[in-house]
Amino acid sequence: MELGDAGADVIKIESLSGDCARGWGPPQEGGTSSVFLRLNRNKRSIALDLDSTEGIAIACRILSSADVAVVDVNRLPDPSFRYEQVAESNPQLVYCAISGFGDRGPWADRPSGELPVQLMSEATSSLGRTGEPPVRAGTDIASMYAAIHGVQGICAALLARDRIGSGQRLDVSLFGSLLAMRSTLWVALSNPDEWWGFHLDSYVKPPDHGYPCSDGRIFVNLAGMKKGELDSLLADLKMDWVRDDRQFEFLAQESTGAGRYAHTVHHLWDRGIQQFTVAEATNIIERHGGLVFPMNDFKMIENNDQVKAVGMIRSVEQPGAGRIKEMIPPWDFADTPYEIRLPAPRLGEHTDAILKELGS
Amino acid sequence: MSGPLEGIRVFDLTIYMVGPWAAVQLGALGADVIHIEQPNVDPSSLSAAVPPRINGTSIGYITWNMNKRGLFLDLKAPEDRATAYELLKTCDVFMVNMRTGTADRLGLSYEAVSAINPQIIYCSITGFGESGPMATRPGADGQMQYFSGFWSTNGARGAEREIYRHFTQMDGSTGNYAAQAILMGLLARKRTGKGQRIEVSMLRATTALQTARIGEYLATAEVARPLGSAAFATAPDEAYLCEDSQYVGISVTNERDWKALCKAILREDLLSDPRFASNVDRVTNRDALTAALQPVFRDKPQYHWMMQLTRARVPCGYPMRFEQLRYHPQVTENGYIIDTDTSAWGHVYTGGPPWHFSQTPAQWIGTPLPGEHTGDILDEIEQRRSSLPADPEPPSPAHPEPVEGRAGESPAVRRV
Repeated sequence: MELGDAGADVIKIESLSGDCARGWGPPQEGGTSSVFLRLNRNKRSIALDLDSTEGIAIACRILSSADVAVVDVNRLPDPSFRYEQVAESNPQLVYCAISGFGDRGPWADRPSGELPVQLMSEATSSLGRTGEPPVRAGTDIASMYAAIHGVQGICAALLARDRIGSGQRLDVSLFGSLLAMRSTLWVALSNPDEWWGFHLDSYVKPPDHGYPCSDGRIFVNLAGMKKGELDSLLADLKMDWVRDDRQFEFLAQESTGAGRYAHTVHHLWDRGIQQFTVAEATNIIERHGGLVFPMNDFKMIENNDQVKAVGMIRSVEQPGAGRIKEMIPPWDFADTPYEIRLPAPRLGEHTDAILKELGS
Repeated sequence: MSGPLEGIRVFDLTIYMVGPWAAVQLGALGADVIHIEQPNVDPSSLSAAVPPRINGTSIGYITWNMNKRGLFLDLKAPEDRATAYELLKTCDVFMVNMRTGTADRLGLSYEAVSAINPQIIYCSITGFGESGPMATRPGADGQMQYFSGFWSTNGARGAEREIYRHFTQMDGSTGNYAAQAILMGLLARKRTGKGQRIEVSMLRATTALQTARIGEYLATAEVARPLGSAAFATAPDEAYLCEDSQYVGISVTNERDWKALCKAILREDLLSDPRFASNVDRVTNRDALTAALQPVFRDKPQYHWMMQLTRARVPCGYPMRFEQLRYHPQVTENGYIIDTDTSAWGHVYTGGPPWHFSQTPAQWIGTPLPGEHTGDILDEIEQRRSSLPADPEPPSPAHPEPVEGRAGESPAVRRV
């Protein structure tokens, strides 16, 4: 979809039963999963019987005139779609192969998905508690990272095409991409001066839910607060009782946000902050040089002034579903402003048009 | 054969993680990335000295500046600014991630840079965007997790939602979207013959990462509660406790895998249960489905299920840790975690290139010291300058920005 958003003509080759993601949800809009609708705009769909020689032949003809192919190599419907086969008739093709765990090694052939990869890349150690059931990142980070790396690789290979005179195959995987995005941890585990710190703490701290106000939750960071401000901050937060607490010494520094002692004294800050609304707590803490951010859910985001100011969410016509809301892409090109050209296609919506283009 | 971006040069004026990480990707793909630092900066102050540190330098700096060369420039000093302008003539990409207006004050606005080099792709990365009430607020990973709602879909079932404790996902994903956009800009340039200005913000990048979850909200106007290990849009797609108190996580996202799962766990009766007929049914009746499946998995150890489900080609996995990953053949054969040598911090583990190219391999090269290549780069600039016909005018933009800084000071660039 990123490539379609950037102006490419994307042909989505689907089986007669269609992309399984059409059936995801609820929620669905107009009988198609809401997730599918937001990951498949700016594409055309051709539906083919990929169990038949005729269907496979048509798909191969599309591949033979394409600049780019994006292929789930763990679930290839037919050997005709392997890179070696396809590149014979189209050496200029950039063939982006996506796998679950990588193109080499004992798991090269294993199909995968988001949760298995999150578990296997130790990503779930950044959530939940040791000894309790694993907690996954609700966002599909492994899948999204692999997609972004895929698009990067495709663009780079297209740029290289003129120089080397041909296309090539490039492989990305959910596993490799999620491991790459945890690089900072691998460096942190490489014999650091001291065995603690911002990054390493992710393995040993308990779940952090932010600080509770009476009407919402906030993130607080006092790292920028001047020495000597703490006393007046505690007074304004009506927290003078905290001086009698045996853990008061930890309140003095690195005691909020991702600070070293934040989890030790979290309950103390919680008790103080929960008396105030988000607006009141923000006002008090920022007055003393701290930084406060609201912890937004998606409803709050939709109504946020900054989100509205940058025009992040638009309403578009989706045939079969009426008006739906979606987000614009994350980049702005000054010379080519984004426009939604095509809504997410119905299954096989463009079959006839594409067959005509192929000369059938 | 060198990387796909061989011949591309990047002027990397970025700080902390977002910008530098974007530039790391371009360097891994073979571009010559020149990372700018203040002359003689103290390495123990880099990346806000966030611990842990190796030999006194934050591991953040070490991670986020691989695949680059280092150049000292004091952009407030007239001589160094002139050097920057000479260098920019040879660059394809300019990157900056400072607060709105900072680049302008340094004489490196898009107008100034494109006047020197109209082919340049100019990428500006901000926290919240360049307009609107929060345009001047800094973005950082922690606050973007909270602001973007990334935290709001994580949490144990029935518990309060929680943040993702590894605080680099927001920075990293913004950097990756920026690198992607720069590559798209380079492709557009082939067609148009000119560069352009590109903008990426953490706000839009981190919400784009959550397209699926935000899409679910936009469809219903309902804020969903987190589900522990369970997926929102598919079922069964969660972790189950096994007989040996270990977990196995499975992901069934299509009807073929649902049939294969039921066969592999010897519960084909579930295939005729109307509550579980389609994915929508299974998600709607998720609690009943979990109640049906949990006792099945509890009855045998994790290894048994991994074998059965792998043979059935049902996606499955179990929690692994770094100690198991580091030398696992799947990781080593794909080079997904590698050992790399750095200038001042010894050998470090880091993520290897996530792409394998069949013709133009990517690379991963250890971090240089700040300014380490200043001598080489200045020589290259000088060689180029002396090999061209003499300019009638000295290099400068059409509308020179006022130069702040100390008048009369000798050039701050040191030859290493």
